[in-house]
Amino acid sequence: MSGTKCTRLNGALVKQVLDSVDSVLFDCDGVIWRGDQSIPGAPQVINLLKEHGKKVFFVTNNSSKTRKMYADKMTSLGFGVREEEVFGTAYCCAMYLKTVCKLEGKVYLLGSNAMEQELEAVGIQQTGVGPDHVFGKQNDWASVPLDPEVKAVVVGFDEHFSYMKLNRAMQYLIQRDCLFVGTNRDTRLPLEGGKAVPGTGCLLQAVETAAQRQAQTVGKPNHFMFDCVASQFGVNPDRCLMVGDRLDTDILLGSNCGLKTLLTLTGVSTVAEAEAHWESGCSERKGMVPDYYVESIADLLPALQG
Amino acid sequence: MAGAFGFKGCQKIRGPQIRGLLEAKDFFLFDCDGVIWHGENAISGAATVVNSLIRHGKNVVFVTNNCTRPRENYVHKFSRLGFTDVMLEQIFSSSYCSALYLRDVVKVRGQVFVMGCEALRGELLEAGIPCVEEADDPDATIYNCSLAPDVKAVLVGHDDKLTFLKLAKASCYLRDPECLFLATDNDPWHPLSGGRILPGSGSLTAALEVASGRKATVIGKPSRFMFECISSQFRGVDPAQCLMVGDRLETDMLFGSNCGLDTMLTLTGVSQMEEAQEYRNSDLTTNHSFVPDYVVDTIADFLPAFEELEEQTD
Repeated sequence: MSGTKCTRLNGALVKQVLDSVDSVLFDCDGVIWRGDQSIPGAPQVINLLKEHGKKVFFVTNNSSKTRKMYADKMTSLGFGVREEEVFGTAYCCAMYLKTVCKLEGKVYLLGSNAMEQELEAVGIQQTGVGPDHVFGKQNDWASVPLDPEVKAVVVGFDEHFSYMKLNRAMQYLIQRDCLFVGTNRDTRLPLEGGKAVPGTGCLLQAVETAAQRQAQTVGKPNHFMFDCVASQFGVNPDRCLMVGDRLDTDILLGSNCGLKTLLTLTGVSTVAEAEAHWESGCSERKGMVPDYYVESIADLLPALQG
Repeated sequence: MAGAFGFKGCQKIRGPQIRGLLEAKDFFLFDCDGVIWHGENAISGAATVVNSLIRHGKNVVFVTNNCTRPRENYVHKFSRLGFTDVMLEQIFSSSYCSALYLRDVVKVRGQVFVMGCEALRGELLEAGIPCVEEADDPDATIYNCSLAPDVKAVLVGHDDKLTFLKLAKASCYLRDPECLFLATDNDPWHPLSGGRILPGSGSLTAALEVASGRKATVIGKPSRFMFECISSQFRGVDPAQCLMVGDRLETDMLFGSNCGLDTMLTLTGVSQMEEAQEYRNSDLTTNHSFVPDYVVDTIADFLPAFEELEEQTD
């Protein structure tokens, strides 16, 4: 890392930075799109980067879509993207369970249909997805029947989260040899119009508190998602740029893996927050300071079009 | 607070030492689950102990974090399990105390969004505190649901009807810094009879703390507030005259310590002797607040002390 940090990326510096990398990793929410609308200029940026011979990948903590669903959304918004280039936590979590945990057995899943599909694609069966409400009395809940084939509890984004599901997860986790994996710890999904949706981090905290155990998380800032990309596509960290909108996930992932980092201001984090981390002098917070920032990734266009 | 041994003894006591305690103290605070009963079964001898304390003119109150029953319900349970003469005024649950907090301390003007069971809402309504009505249709989501105006507090308790939508609504209300964030208790799980457990209010509170980025004000043990409720209803209670009897180090013993009371751990519930000893041997001085002054296997160990007292007065 050079001595300068959090530099505004514009003018000649853009071409300089782009020339110094062969691969670019993009977060999605708040970077290339917001909800169902692409950030103006984003599709052109991605497409031009590929035309310039860069490898482009997408790394998102959002576990509610399969890689195919993401690719379909991207295509409909004008991004020229292949399924293999997308790394969401639903896919990466399934890969983690298969290749790192070498899980033999079922998963009790607090998560989406997308997570169920990604698990199935690697041959892992799940139980629990969908609505599940309490019935009967307290004693019944504490003695819910447990499937003996379940060997892991997995927590992702679950719009059907309920007390009963929290209870079942806790009952499985009382068994010490049951694995405990979470997709990510994001606290909130930002929404327009003043509402906020609680993120997976909240659900995970509820289960961790009840079970008095910590989950292993797969998503940013944990390096596993970068390892997935690198192992499949031969990415050199020294010649790789991570572009994101969150200091505590995207930028920290970049720092953890030795990548160059670029903060875009179309999402969650601000330059003021980055400066506060820098001024804190705290070594744990230094990793959240980006090398560069832009107002929007559209700021890269002049260098790509020139 | 030093016990009879001049330090937090964490020693098992019986016979003459218990009799000494019974003579020295005139205010006994009991936790319920794991101390005087397990579910629907009274701990053997517990009813006699409680009845004898009351008969000997001691003040006895029950201090429980369990917010799932109205106090009237507890009165019936006490009677059913052989604890005669226990009156409503002696029962302090975290739901009752949450209502008192909102009514008398906060003097809340506006509605309260309750994430908890009917018993919790019941205590608030009985204290004259309006609660937001839950009337979501089954297909409502956070994107299209309505939010109530004028919500001045969010109160989290044991909520078996918890849904993602409720969690989302609560975190929206908490975006207003003027809206209070309260929790009945912080217990991560609570025990049922037979060694089984259920997720506690603490797990739901933790989820909402992460969603809102705010910390809840906890009403129940180990916070001091329930002791303040007791003290104001009994017109001043001298902590030096009190003994807190409980089964959970992180709630009951810490509560006693926070309020300056002597503490007694009974081993019929959650915490084990080994855990108490670990806290005592810890280098972290904050862990010493979890250490009980005294330990008994069961509160039935009080019984011989009563028999001796009976013999003396005969």
